[in-house]
Amino acid sequence: MAAVQETIDQVRLIDVDQYKYGFETVIEVDKAPKGLSEDIIRFISAKKQEPEWMLEWRLDAYRRWLTMEEPTWARVEYPKIDFNDLYYYAAPKSSAGPKSLEEVDPELLRVYEKLGIPLREQEILAGVETPRVAVDAVFDSVSVVTTFKKELQKAGVIFMSISEAIREHPELIKKYLGSVVPTSDNFYATLNAAVFTDGSFVFVPKGVRCPMELSTYFRINEKNTGQFERTLIIVEEGAYVSYLEGCTAPQRDENQLHAAVVELIALDDAEIKYSTVQNWYPGDAQGKGGIYNFVTKRGDCRGARSKISWTQVETGSAITWKYPSCILRGDDSRGEFYSIAVSNGYQQIDSGTKMIHLGKNTSSRIISKGISAGNSNNTYRGQVSINRRASNARNFTNCDSLLIGDQCGAHTVPYIDVKNASAQIEHEATTSKISEDQKFYVMQRGIPEEEAIALIVNGFVKDVIQQLPMEFAVEAQKLIGISLEGSVG
Amino acid sequence: MLEIKNLHARIAEDGTEIIRGLSLTVKAGEIAAIMGPNGSGKSTLSYILSGRQDYEVTEGDILYNGESILELDPAERASKGIFLAFQYPLEIPGVATMQFLKVAMNEQRKARGEAELTTPDFIRRVKDAADKLKIDQAMLRRPLNVGFSGGEKKRAEILQMALLEPKLCILDETDSGLDIDALKIVADGVNALKSPDRATIVITHYQRLLDYIVPDTVHVLYKGQIIRSGDKALALELEENGYADIIGEAA
Amino acid sequence: MNMQTTSRLTAAETALVEAFGAQIGELPGNGAVIGTRDRLLDDLKKSGLPTRRIEAWHYTDLKNLLRILPDAATVSAIDPAAPLVEGSKVLSILQGTADAKAAVDGVEIALFRDRLADGSAAAGLTALDKDDAIGRINGSFVRDGYAIAVPANTELDAPIELQALHGAGQVHTRFPVSFGAASKATIIERHRSVAEGSALVSSISDIALEDGADITWIILQQQAAEDTHLGQIRVKLGTDAKLRLFVINAGGKLVRQELRIDVAGEGAELTLRGVNLLGGESHTDVTLVLGHNVPNTNSTEIIRNVVFDRANGVFQGMIRVAPDAQKTDAKMSCNTLLLTDDGGFSAKPELEIFADDVVCGHGATVADIESSHLFYLMARGVPENKARAMLVKAFVAEIVEELEEEKLVEALEGVISAWLEKHA
Repeated sequence: MAAVQETIDQVRLIDVDQYKYGFETVIEVDKAPKGLSEDIIRFISAKKQEPEWMLEWRLDAYRRWLTMEEPTWARVEYPKIDFNDLYYYAAPKSSAGPKSLEEVDPELLRVYEKLGIPLREQEILAGVETPRVAVDAVFDSVSVVTTFKKELQKAGVIFMSISEAIREHPELIKKYLGSVVPTSDNFYATLNAAVFTDGSFVFVPKGVRCPMELSTYFRINEKNTGQFERTLIIVEEGAYVSYLEGCTAPQRDENQLHAAVVELIALDDAEIKYSTVQNWYPGDAQGKGGIYNFVTKRGDCRGARSKISWTQVETGSAITWKYPSCILRGDDSRGEFYSIAVSNGYQQIDSGTKMIHLGKNTSSRIISKGISAGNSNNTYRGQVSINRRASNARNFTNCDSLLIGDQCGAHTVPYIDVKNASAQIEHEATTSKISEDQKFYVMQRGIPEEEAIALIVNGFVKDVIQQLPMEFAVEAQKLIGISLEGSVG
Repeated sequence: MLEIKNLHARIAEDGTEIIRGLSLTVKAGEIAAIMGPNGSGKSTLSYILSGRQDYEVTEGDILYNGESILELDPAERASKGIFLAFQYPLEIPGVATMQFLKVAMNEQRKARGEAELTTPDFIRRVKDAADKLKIDQAMLRRPLNVGFSGGEKKRAEILQMALLEPKLCILDETDSGLDIDALKIVADGVNALKSPDRATIVITHYQRLLDYIVPDTVHVLYKGQIIRSGDKALALELEENGYADIIGEAA
Repeated sequence: MNMQTTSRLTAAETALVEAFGAQIGELPGNGAVIGTRDRLLDDLKKSGLPTRRIEAWHYTDLKNLLRILPDAATVSAIDPAAPLVEGSKVLSILQGTADAKAAVDGVEIALFRDRLADGSAAAGLTALDKDDAIGRINGSFVRDGYAIAVPANTELDAPIELQALHGAGQVHTRFPVSFGAASKATIIERHRSVAEGSALVSSISDIALEDGADITWIILQQQAAEDTHLGQIRVKLGTDAKLRLFVINAGGKLVRQELRIDVAGEGAELTLRGVNLLGGESHTDVTLVLGHNVPNTNSTEIIRNVVFDRANGVFQGMIRVAPDAQKTDAKMSCNTLLLTDDGGFSAKPELEIFADDVVCGHGATVADIESSHLFYLMARGVPENKARAMLVKAFVAEIVEELEEEKLVEALEGVISAWLEKHA
């Protein structure tokens, strides 16, 4: 995220509660007709030149989805979504077909530049201090470009859009797709299985430490378009990858739907670090517009001693419904979840994690920091489950909530289920308001109130920020500050 | 009485080796001081002698009155007369001090085939011992060590030692956190127990305690080994010159 | 997602409906009460017993767990027992029937069956919300209990023991109790099996503390290993009222204890302590919904659970701070010693906070006995099994020791020791 600093600086000049990524790009698009049906799914599959088995997989999920009901247990409220009033496929016209940077519409490249995402490899390479990050850029329904592919190939790492992977590596897709989040998993995940359009695919072979950070950048541009991306990351024995994900969308009055599925698979001794900075458009100060972010993310520590770590900074979206989870199947495996969730305005967040301990000597750690301001509601919902055979399981959970103002809500809903006597589970949660003493102290030194709050909040979330790769950490801190603008009234 | 032979031990959880070939003999009637800088393995040694499960003996043996005790659990060792005065006595909420003392004394007696104490006899013994150590009766009515000050905890340890009448006393940094008056009371308590059939191991960082509990032998522990042994003059030498010289010699 | 219809009633649900039909003629109550009973049963019939899909019953799928109902109250001769604490005033309810001669000096006592007969109990027979299965069952079937009023400025010098003893059959009781301003009292609510055979007990205590009342309320549930206990306590705290509520579960096969507490007066203070001794094949669920609804109130909740055998335990604890309930201070902890791989414990401590100037927190732990404590005791010569027993006892006894009355502490420790001796 090299150009981030610059963008941040620009944004700082903008007025309070102006979403900095709210610009719209006028670009010619290729769209499927509105609505959802088997024909639409056939259309998407055909557009992607998918093999027959993939189409069947989708149709199967679609038929199942028709029998399912939208979940209502989360603490989020929104008008019923008309799933037939959405576009399920929108692609920049010029991007169809094989992609190389030269073929990409220059208008698109400018979008990513504006967002601070460098896609031109030569530019990235030219920057001396810039850390090298391979990027897969997803614009509405399709991946427009993936950088550094060749260099990664040398190391044996496959990094490409999932559409390409379906065509080029069907054996891996068949083996792993849906193996962590089955098509029947939940309403949104099943919908995703039916209509997913693009996303990233990562395969790190045995013993390889991925030579650079991998990153996907998601952008919803089109009106009334659902974005249903699918990400699949497979890390073989002893291998390692760090993966970053960023998201933005234009400022629009209507709500846009985003229902992604992310599956991670870690084999013996493998490690996956997955970081997200989610900054979808949150809606305006009155709660109009914004993204509905209904995401299923799950990692499977399939191998012994494997490790999956989720770090998320959630500042955007009108509604967030998201529980990045770990299935600790392998003995001695470890799951981590570090989260910062900031809600302001009329945002609603219901997010947390699940740590499912199945193997022996498994351990997990959950650190969640929720900050509610304005008229928002912010819920941590998490589960720690210790299976009867999971001896010597360990969990530590810490959920802290901070309230800024008296019109918001902060909620904590942990589920702790233990069936093995050797387990050691420790959960603690606190809710309090920002300390007046601290604020006074900081302000007394000449720092204005909003900045003082940002400063204190940054202290509050430090444990999580530290988990982010450096480039992201800086951006995340700034984002939190921006998200809280206007919270003092 | 105690013979430690080429002992190697490590932390069970992560395999870190703490004791690396330690040999030491302590005779009945002897007061042996074990000194050493922080991290040399002093507290670990006390835990291993009393049978804490967090450590694994990988090599060597510990003979107590000629028999190996490695296979015995902490309670069995205690019943044979091994007593550890903890550096940090644990607070155990809900367990009444008096009840605890009674159970411990009677269980040890049972293990040794002696009759259990009657309640009046038990109370008399506790009262006598507590008076000597200037321990307030109110303290004994509280849950075990809960809310005791640092000094009170150390005195309570010595009270337990007096009541349980062990044969091998291990005092782990008993002087830490004590002011000079408390130190004297504790030292008097320990000295009162000195007898020809009882051995005491005093583990300490500083020479100060040894002014009050005078050792027969002094051993310097460093990196899990005894690197030097001597009489009480060695303790004074350490006081004077610090550990650096001796460690330098050994290295 | 509630797709239950009347056509798919389980055996237990059918039995409830049929029992109601069979008893309606003899259940005490005037027209208003019968109307209310009818409505409650009808709601129960429509929704069925709650399943785990109902969030409030997430861990206690009553539909599945409550399979067979014992017959409605069978008459058997039961004698009152000695009170838990010597000198207590005993109000006995034997097989669900209150004693017409019961009296306590300075306290107004009425039979609940009379309140049903004259209709004055009708208003209180409601369910608290759409998921209140206990309110519905109890409201439909309740036959008796005591309505108690402790007048203002009255201090009772001895505890009142509500002694509910039963044998096999069904027992449905209710205790509306009001404590006048600045009154002071200790109430011991005991539910105990004294004869063979399985029983279903539902019992609701509906208690109101007026301004400045200072009350200790103890619930001691010691039902038989095949019994079902559906208990509910509804509490409202007035200004500066103080309630120490102790809930001890030491029996039953299927137990649900609901604590619905409305902290409604400024300066009010709640101390909730729970001890759950879980063994055998039992399933025990303690569910707390605590509302801090006005500014400047505080509460502490400590729940300790010990799980043996094939027992399953549940604690759901919701602290809800209303908008404007500033300066709420609420702290909850739930600690469990899980001593078996065949049982389990689930905890769901929940915070729902709508005011910003608050200090709220919860903690939950599930673990085996602390190894350093065990080592310390063993290093003093206490054998392992005995050391473990001491630590288990200490873990729960610590809670009852907070009670000030020494005789009460002794009696409750006696209950704990006896239970542990039998199960540990």
